[in-house]
Amino acid sequence: MGKPERITLQEAASLIKDGDLLTFSGFTIWRRPMALVYELVRQGKKNLHLFEVNGGTHTEVLAGAGCIKIWESCWVGHELYGKLGELVAARQVKGTIITEDYSHAQCVARLLAGAYGIPFFPTALSMGTDILNPEFDMLGKAGLRDGSNPKIPLKKYDMIEDPFYNMGELLLMPAVNPNWALIYASQVGDEGTVRVNAQTYTDIEAIKAADKVIVLAEEIVPDSYLRQEPKLNIATGYAIDYVVELPWAAHPTGSQGYYDVDADFIRAFYSASKSQEGFDKWADEWIFGVKNHEEYLAKLGITRLEKLRANSALGYSRRVKRGTR
Amino acid sequence: MSAKNEYAKPGEYKPIDLLAVAAAREVRDGDVVFAGTGLPMLAIMLAQLSHAPNAVCIYEAGSIDGRPIDLPTSVGDARCAYQAAMAAGLTEAFYGQLHNGYVDLGFLGGAEIDKYGNVNTTVVGNYASPKKRFTGSGGNPDINSLARRSVYIMVQEKRRFKEHVDYITSPGWRIKKWPSGEWAHRKDVYHKYFRGGIEAVITNMGVFRFDEQGIMYLDTVHPGFSAEDVKNNVDFDLNISRVSGETKPPTYLDIELLYTKVDPEGIFLP
Repeated sequence: MGKPERITLQEAASLIKDGDLLTFSGFTIWRRPMALVYELVRQGKKNLHLFEVNGGTHTEVLAGAGCIKIWESCWVGHELYGKLGELVAARQVKGTIITEDYSHAQCVARLLAGAYGIPFFPTALSMGTDILNPEFDMLGKAGLRDGSNPKIPLKKYDMIEDPFYNMGELLLMPAVNPNWALIYASQVGDEGTVRVNAQTYTDIEAIKAADKVIVLAEEIVPDSYLRQEPKLNIATGYAIDYVVELPWAAHPTGSQGYYDVDADFIRAFYSASKSQEGFDKWADEWIFGVKNHEEYLAKLGITRLEKLRANSALGYSRRVKRGTR
Repeated sequence: MSAKNEYAKPGEYKPIDLLAVAAAREVRDGDVVFAGTGLPMLAIMLAQLSHAPNAVCIYEAGSIDGRPIDLPTSVGDARCAYQAAMAAGLTEAFYGQLHNGYVDLGFLGGAEIDKYGNVNTTVVGNYASPKKRFTGSGGNPDINSLARRSVYIMVQEKRRFKEHVDYITSPGWRIKKWPSGEWAHRKDVYHKYFRGGIEAVITNMGVFRFDEQGIMYLDTVHPGFSAEDVKNNVDFDLNISRVSGETKPPTYLDIELLYTKVDPEGIFLP
């Protein structure tokens, strides 16, 4: 308990061990801790186990770099800027990533249970689908539900007959408590209070569910400032273990109130991601070709970043060209 | 003056315009709509600007009744939350709104569909050793399972309208009861949580609905196509005996709203 420790990006990545179970803040291509994801790749992490409510560009970067062993989620892609998660898909087909699919709201149920310290969460969502087909319990098939890994539940899900109001059969989704939540947040107070703008996604649940939490802060501000409007804050300082102050740390994903999604950057990544050679070349340029986050930003250049900067009234940029007109 | 409410003639609109307009017409005034990315966004926004000003929209990333002034490109977009009643998260959207029972209409898309309305957005081939992976379920099956009605917007292709889909991502009218895997009517799987189900499928060729047995039939055919044309683009034996006529084309006002108010930047409507 107490205040989070201020560390560097390199120190943050070095805390993550091969094989750890990770989850992330954000939603598809919004508020992802991209700078830390790049640093995990630079440090050559292996066999990572991801549980994420939904995937995105960051998932594909980790998949392309060969960092992922297990991916439990429901979706991966780049929204309008790349319709598939090509690198996860290629590895699922080859069998080099174990893929465990849940529905989106079933993923939320698992994280909610983890966040609230309860062993499972009941839901009626997405019954009757092949997500529940026992033949498609891929962690079970791999022999990983034997209790030897405390982060993998003994069953993919269970069913219960509602014992209270006779609502019928419901699903029980097992809690997930990742080793780490890797979070990007707009503002973190000097005592660790966390604020994000607009939609909260599953950031609150990810912070609470994880054993340890690292936050990349767009900016660190006085806690007294955040405490003027406590209803806008999403987490207390004692829930956070480490903080890294790093402007533009979510690029190319967007951060409401700070910057928009860099659509051209993600489109270029998506084209590259259609082959391993393409990804490797992209990674040589954008991950291994820059020493650190500052060099990455310098390479992007001020003109590009200024175009993405959010309008302070609207929370997003109107200077980016988004369509054909 | 009244010309704006007249129907546009073939050649005066694009196929995608009709898709958006036909989908918008499924929205009833006052509906609470839970929409996915892309054409569903255009459809709900057009409906709000025309016949359904009291319809509200929920996006799964957590914006509840947003009033965007710029078209979002995804449901997590900052634009979704502009002037929203609440900027919450997924727990609120999926449990506080959907599971709770507020949602009237789910607006979704899919890669493949079968005659019972089961949708696949996960894999081609066997899941355990697939030939190809799509994006995955996202919130598609969640929204579809507990909204009172759901509408799918899809591309009409023989390979997409199949007797059986390779993987049931999202539940139609006849689904599998797990863990046994026996086929059952949706009512017998959802019990007291049964609230309805897939009501319409809208493609670039027609509008499909479901009969009393939960089997898809062709309801209307878009201008320029025949029922036979549609049947030839479906891989199962499509019932075309209940066709009620031609899909009404967009009005001039619909087209004006789509291109000047809903998507002036040309994001989904090039």
